[in-house]
Amino acid sequence: MIIVPIIVIAFVIIGIGMYNSLIGKKNQVTNAFSAIDVMLKKRFDLIPNLVEVVKQYTQYEGDTLTKITELRGKAMGANVSEADKLALDQQMGAAVKGLMVSVENYPDLKANTNFLNLQSTWTESEEQIAAARRNYNATVTTYNNAVMMFPSSIFASMLGYQTMSVLESTAEERQNVNAKDLFNS
Amino acid sequence: MPTNFTINPAVEAILVELEVQRKHISSTNIKGWGAILVGVISIFVAASFGGLIIGLITGGAIIIYGIVVLNKIAKEAAIYKRRFKNDVIGAALRNIDPNLTINPNDGISETEFRFSQLFPTTPDRYFTEDLITGKIDKTSFYFAEVHAEYKTETQTKNGKQTHWHDILKGIIFVGDFNKHFNGITIIRPKDFGASLGAWFAKNVYSFGDKNVVELENDEFNKNFVVYSNDQIEARYILTPALMERIGVLNQRCSNTISLSFINANMYIAFPLAKNYFEPPIYKTLLKPNLLDEDLSVLSFMHDIVHELDLNTRIWTKA
Repeated sequence: MIIVPIIVIAFVIIGIGMYNSLIGKKNQVTNAFSAIDVMLKKRFDLIPNLVEVVKQYTQYEGDTLTKITELRGKAMGANVSEADKLALDQQMGAAVKGLMVSVENYPDLKANTNFLNLQSTWTESEEQIAAARRNYNATVTTYNNAVMMFPSSIFASMLGYQTMSVLESTAEERQNVNAKDLFNS
Repeated sequence: MPTNFTINPAVEAILVELEVQRKHISSTNIKGWGAILVGVISIFVAASFGGLIIGLITGGAIIIYGIVVLNKIAKEAAIYKRRFKNDVIGAALRNIDPNLTINPNDGISETEFRFSQLFPTTPDRYFTEDLITGKIDKTSFYFAEVHAEYKTETQTKNGKQTHWHDILKGIIFVGDFNKHFNGITIIRPKDFGASLGAWFAKNVYSFGDKNVVELENDEFNKNFVVYSNDQIEARYILTPALMERIGVLNQRCSNTISLSFINANMYIAFPLAKNYFEPPIYKTLLKPNLLDEDLSVLSFMHDIVHELDLNTRIWTKA
């Protein structure tokens, strides 16, 4: 006889756990997205210094530097959606990569300590963003599974939760050794 | 790795010298244990013929003689062991890399073992020896043999019985990791308990360990469960490339390895079946493949820096 209330209590506890878990997962997705934003800001903040140092040593990279500065300006502007910010970051990444290749023609710049520090910090930020994106995708996948799978799908439909889309992996994430290539190119 | 390492004339000379010492130790050991055996037999024989007192006196004297002989040779055996480690293993290390050194009496302290958080169980008995240190390019590393055990007690009709169980019997490798990190990330073999904890963490809030990190590499997830107090940092450390490399390293071991990233270091625990870098007592030192197993372990540990690409220093950590 006592088994029936125990089973009921167990179901209630597990039900509450699953309900809270679903809400927790949604919050984790929001947090994961904010984390990408923080990393992007950190990376964008490197641009002015990088441009300044490169400008001192190079003569023919003006166009690239202007492009990078413009992209940063756009990304840091008000009312830029997160998707646009990520797209601008990718363009900026490609432009900086091109700049790093050109640096080979400027031995003085290549030997400059400030530049070397910025280069390392840039590489680091690239991997940190990749990690933040992977974390975002992992939290979205976990959230989507909870929304779609029984029995947590019952709570999801009660709360009106919809599935979310993951971020497409960038070329850097697919290759994942690109940071090294950046230096060897 | 050259398997003909013992052909090195300097090492050959040391081995010839140590072989004389080994023969002396082994024959003295046999003599000591033989005396104890004879002593015990003579007590039983004398007792069966009604001369227990005489048996105890003569047998006891022979046993004491055996103990004294064994005690005396134990000191010589310790010196023999130390010389083998310093001179033979030391030379083998220098043959692999001149920067490698061995300190047979040192190891990885119990405090560091606990600090590494490689294992959730706290040891009740701990032994460590054979600390080997080195540096390859910018990466400093050290490793040592560790035997950590915990005990359980059961109540039997004869009283309390203590059982000892291994937490780790093998080698712990510690290397300077090539990226800055602040949190703690731990990679443990996937067993039933860890899998269950990970499932609860994923599916039922308030239950299980919330620090479980779900990674994208299925092969990696089959073998390991990852815990971290920083989900992003765990992924910053465990890039897809490093996960692949850890997988390859794990495949080369017969038991699943454990790893942790704490305080700028990377810790790896390798469970191993035998005690390495020990000289034989009852077998000759002069057989050509004497050091093969030791050498293969040493080069395996030395190669970790390359295998895990720890010398790539393109981030802000110099």
